[in-house]
Amino acid sequence: MDALNIAREYETVQYIVIKIGEEQYGIDISFIDNIVRMQSITRVPHVQPYFAGVINIRGEVVPVMSLRLKMGLEVDEYTNKTRIIIVKSESNAPIGLIVDEVREVVTLDETSIDEVIRDSKVDETYINGIGKNGNTLISLLDLNAVISDKDNS
Amino acid sequence: MDVSQYLGIFLDETNEHLQTLSDQLMILENEPENEDTINEIFRAAHSLKGMAGTMGYKRMQNLTHDMENVFSEVRNGKIKVDGHMVDILFQALDALEEYRENISENQDEGTNDNEPIINALQAILNGESASAPAPAADTAEASPEAAAAEEAAPAAEGGSDENKWHDIVLHEPEQHVISEAIKNHSNVFGFTVYIQETCILKAARAFLVFKALEELGEVIVSEPSTQDIEDEKFDFDFSLYFVTDSPVEKVKEAIAGVSEIDHVVGDVIDMDKAKIFNEDDEDAGASETTAETKEESAAPVSSAPATTSAPAPAPAAKDSKSTDSKKNTGNKPAVNRTVRVDIEKLDVLMNLVSELIIAKNSLVSFAMTESGGHSGFNEQIEYLESVTTNLHESVMKVRMVPIESVVNKFPRMIRDLSKKLNKQMELHMTGEETELDRTVVDEIGDPLMHLLRNSADHGLESLEVRRERGKDEVGQIYLDAYQDGNNVVIEVRDDGNGIDTEAVKRKAIERGTITPEQAETMSEKEIIDLLFLPSFSTAKVVSDVSGRGVGLDVVRSKIGALGGDVSVKTKLGEGSTWTIRLPLTLAIIQALMVVVGKEKYAISLGSIQTIEDVAEDDIKYVEAREVINLRDTVIPIIRLRDILGVQDEKDPSSNMVVIIVKKGDQLAGLVVDELIGQQEIVIKSLGKYINCSSRLISGATILGDGEVALILDANVLI
Repeated sequence: MDALNIAREYETVQYIVIKIGEEQYGIDISFIDNIVRMQSITRVPHVQPYFAGVINIRGEVVPVMSLRLKMGLEVDEYTNKTRIIIVKSESNAPIGLIVDEVREVVTLDETSIDEVIRDSKVDETYINGIGKNGNTLISLLDLNAVISDKDNS
Repeated sequence: MDVSQYLGIFLDETNEHLQTLSDQLMILENEPENEDTINEIFRAAHSLKGMAGTMGYKRMQNLTHDMENVFSEVRNGKIKVDGHMVDILFQALDALEEYRENISENQDEGTNDNEPIINALQAILNGESASAPAPAADTAEASPEAAAAEEAAPAAEGGSDENKWHDIVLHEPEQHVISEAIKNHSNVFGFTVYIQETCILKAARAFLVFKALEELGEVIVSEPSTQDIEDEKFDFDFSLYFVTDSPVEKVKEAIAGVSEIDHVVGDVIDMDKAKIFNEDDEDAGASETTAETKEESAAPVSSAPATTSAPAPAPAAKDSKSTDSKKNTGNKPAVNRTVRVDIEKLDVLMNLVSELIIAKNSLVSFAMTESGGHSGFNEQIEYLESVTTNLHESVMKVRMVPIESVVNKFPRMIRDLSKKLNKQMELHMTGEETELDRTVVDEIGDPLMHLLRNSADHGLESLEVRRERGKDEVGQIYLDAYQDGNNVVIEVRDDGNGIDTEAVKRKAIERGTITPEQAETMSEKEIIDLLFLPSFSTAKVVSDVSGRGVGLDVVRSKIGALGGDVSVKTKLGEGSTWTIRLPLTLAIIQALMVVVGKEKYAISLGSIQTIEDVAEDDIKYVEAREVINLRDTVIPIIRLRDILGVQDEKDPSSNMVVIIVKKGDQLAGLVVDELIGQQEIVIKSLGKYINCSSRLISGATILGDGEVALILDANVLI
């Protein structure tokens, strides 16, 4: 009952917190279809450089993108913690994002989400908010911006 | 009009409509007030009527017409649905079903008029709660007389007077309605409507008249019958009796308000003067029996079927006629049993098959790693393989339709073009029965039309030039379709001028597409390729038909989107041949799996000619490109490693595996590192995110071990 009341007071959204380098990012959980371990990725020649290739998810061929390369960071180093997050928004086909680590799920309400502040390290166009979870800051990814292909077109 | 080609569609749609009717009637039985249902039934009956009419099935049309009428009244709230009515409607439905059976068996609806049902429907219309129509046994007896009546009815003419409505013969139910109406102080008028003699769509005008009248009251009877009017079986006038509460002037106004109506005459009818059914003219017998039939259906309990007096000649004639027509149609092969399937369901089926194949592939790879110790296991796999292959084929065939539906319109188009361009030409088509995937057939029409127009306009010379060149004055255009392995080839050929490569060259230079220096070194093929560039047209005069520079590029991109390609062979002065190659199926193909570096690729078997083992020393250079000389053919070779950007180094061995691929009659050799073997693969799209700039990769497939392999489009490489 309490939880329900709180939910009514503030809109809350659950985010999956991922790590790229030292920074933490949040992805709206409603867009996440699946999280899989790193697996062999089939390279596709002559494509946008940030596409690592394609993988097989339950019989579907899903393209996989390196978030690091998309954000202009150094090349991924695949470790035991590396994951591929399969995101899928309503009408769009699924797409995989390679991240360094998946940490936890957090619930943020409106009051703990700030507008975007200038960030020198990462291209801010991929972020649509900063979430505060205790002492840590979480950059909230704007998935549409991440997925769209504007810098190549 | 020959409508036999639509028979399959007609039967399918009839089935659908009958199904709708039956479903909705069920609902109606429980919810007599349900307006949606009533509308639905009305629509279905209306469509059925229209279809049956177009196909020339008169009896079916009659029956549905009456059903429609009943529902139109129900819809207007004039009649209430009751159990009795639903019963009769179901009987009508069964009768329709019977017609459909007959039609699908021998293309003839049979001779059963189902008069009792029609009468019962009429009775409902007339507001009589008549008891159930005569059972089926009587129906058979009643029909000959009914047929006779139908034969005789048009004979009921006469009277030079403009008020032709005086000649309408009244049968008992109609008299009944009229007397009822008079009792209720409604006006009963007789009208004769004259349509202008310049009118083309008489039936449509008549329909509008009836529609206008229905707003004011009720048409009791018309001469000719509404049926014949709908079929345009009347001259330029028709007469009717009409019950209404409105004054005669208002009704006349309403009728005259319909355009192309010349004039209308009419007045209140005088029951004493009206012609009653037992009139003393030559068709009395027929009218009488009809009336008796009606009477009998209205009161079946009291009367034993009065069929003994049935006049001989007319029904006999009718009967022999119908047997004749049966003889004609009886030997025809039964209609194609077609099935209309929701394409989504097919897709699901297709996906299931795809998964089955993936499962099979994983079993195969499992068997290979387990070193095939169990022969029984292998047998099972072989069995599974044959099952999946067959399943694939049959599912694929469901999607296949002959290209006939698309190319059938072309002869007409060429005929029109011939008039328009003032050139004589003939179109010869072969292979219309060639089948292609439904989606391909739907898309192929436009490109073919472009090519044919191109041939007609640019290809064929004008009459004078043809004469000069000693060619037949009539230009010939050919459209040939045939299956070639895993491809379907459609050729558009003409005996016209061919492509003037010099003219193309000049034009390209003029337009700045190429420089004069480039033009010097271009091969004929490269020049012809220029034609496929957007906005490039060589027609000296931009004509209505073609020559606006939209066309060939559209043709190529459309064919490309379907996974095919288009090429052209031409000889100046003798004509050109455009060849379209299309894959038979879009979803599952036989492919050769190869290894390049550490990556696996699939190449469609359809484009592979041979596989050769070539020594490194055999590579020669022509114009700084690597070629091999294979059995006296010089073939350029393409190193897939370089093209695909494979990083790791290959161990230098003296021999290379070269796959000779073919596109039209061009060949190329693809150098790969290793062959895996032939496999049936399921094509998956890469999706829209990945933007493969070179279009080298046409898709991906999932291998038995779950890995993804890419499919190389060899056509792009050549």
